[in-house]
Amino acid sequence: MLRQLLVADFLKIKRKGFWLLTFLGPLGVVALQMVNYGLRKDYLLQQSDNDWEYYLSNVHSFTPLALILGIAIFTSIIANIENETNAWKQLVSLPVSKMSVYLSKFTALASLLLVSSILLMVFTLLFGVFLDLGEEIPYVELFQYSFYPYFAALPILSLQLWIAIVSKNQGIPITTGVLGVVFAYSAYYLPDWMIWKWPSLMNAWGEPVVNALLGVGLGCVLYLVGMFDFVRRDVK
Amino acid sequence: MRYILQSEWYKLRKSKIIFIIFTSPLVGLFLGLTTQLVNEMEGNEWYLSLFTMNVTYALLFLPLITGVLASIICRYEHQEGGWKQLLALPVTRGKVFVAKYVLLMFLVLFMQLLYFVAIYLVGWINGFTDPFPMDIVWKSILGGWVATFPLVALQLWMSILFKSFAAPFTVNVIFTLPTILAVNSEKFGPYYPWAQPFAMMNVGGNVGDVFFIPWEQLLTVVGGSFLLFFIGGYMYFQRKPV
Repeated sequence: MLRQLLVADFLKIKRKGFWLLTFLGPLGVVALQMVNYGLRKDYLLQQSDNDWEYYLSNVHSFTPLALILGIAIFTSIIANIENETNAWKQLVSLPVSKMSVYLSKFTALASLLLVSSILLMVFTLLFGVFLDLGEEIPYVELFQYSFYPYFAALPILSLQLWIAIVSKNQGIPITTGVLGVVFAYSAYYLPDWMIWKWPSLMNAWGEPVVNALLGVGLGCVLYLVGMFDFVRRDVK
Repeated sequence: MRYILQSEWYKLRKSKIIFIIFTSPLVGLFLGLTTQLVNEMEGNEWYLSLFTMNVTYALLFLPLITGVLASIICRYEHQEGGWKQLLALPVTRGKVFVAKYVLLMFLVLFMQLLYFVAIYLVGWINGFTDPFPMDIVWKSILGGWVATFPLVALQLWMSILFKSFAAPFTVNVIFTLPTILAVNSEKFGPYYPWAQPFAMMNVGGNVGDVFFIPWEQLLTVVGGSFLLFFIGGYMYFQRKPV
């Protein structure tokens, strides 16, 4: 059942710009560094002894912001597809459970974001090699900077999907997305428990993996909360 | 014209816009109370607070939230043939566009005033004793407002063009995120319309002028992009099939 729902969801999001955004997000993050390094490469290379590390952290300064805004956009569009034509009623009157309807939407978005994380890794690597930052490419850090923010952002995905699906007015989820990005930009000052800090991979222990694991954990919890709320709600 | 504005206002009152407007002082308070740097700057203690608050507020929050307001103001019309109903009334499309724009600019001004209150509250909570730098705060509040003129015009255009909230927001995000880099560049920062709210609110610019940016920059970059986006949106709306 879930497989068919997923097929249906991927059909629905066709020609809505999802794939374009999935591609554009990571490209944009790396493109900003292309501009940055294009304009002042010499200055940036002087900034640290480890050019790769510094380059990765530069790329990573935009990843959380792009992720959070991307999540706000994705969740709002996917909810709007059903809202726009009052299709929720039709959708849940099919012989499918409401839980799997919700799970399918979440899975579709989580896979798109995973694809964009993979693309982020590819683009980062390609431009890094192009910049000729040194022989030893830090693959482990590259992997961490590309995928940990994704896992750490899962609670935000769960939360935004929930808000987007239950709001009739899509201005609300977009506004929470804006607030999220303000928080993420101030990540340095935020306490560790704020989920908007997590994609920045900063924490008191200096272990980025903590954020990724916490993200998966709380992401599941918030997902369940959102799903049960959706199941209990009347569909109008 | 007055009646169009009035009807726009009635439509707004029942939307959730008030919550969205009140996020502005909340963000201000949040930024002012959490992002405390160690005060090593000489001089007025308000400056540091103002500086740290204004950076995030003007770089990200203000450009993004004005886009949301623009989408909300077109929401009723996009639902169930609202454009048809509105334009079937004895109103011209031009007037509807101008009315929506004027109302939006008033909302943004109101938001800026609430942010002003937030600045004051931050100082009060922190127990600042230095004199309140009234002229500088006003300069940045009103400057930030003026800098959103072109941004709001573009977002109104995009909101009329697209039915969904997400599409105009995406356009907004694509232009707003690069601002973070653009303001670092002395070459590009002054010419990038989305960097102007930051330039206008950034305390410590040229204090001699009316605003923190020179008049030439204000007129060419803000004024020029305003004309481009406003006329673009206006022309588009004249031709929009409803």
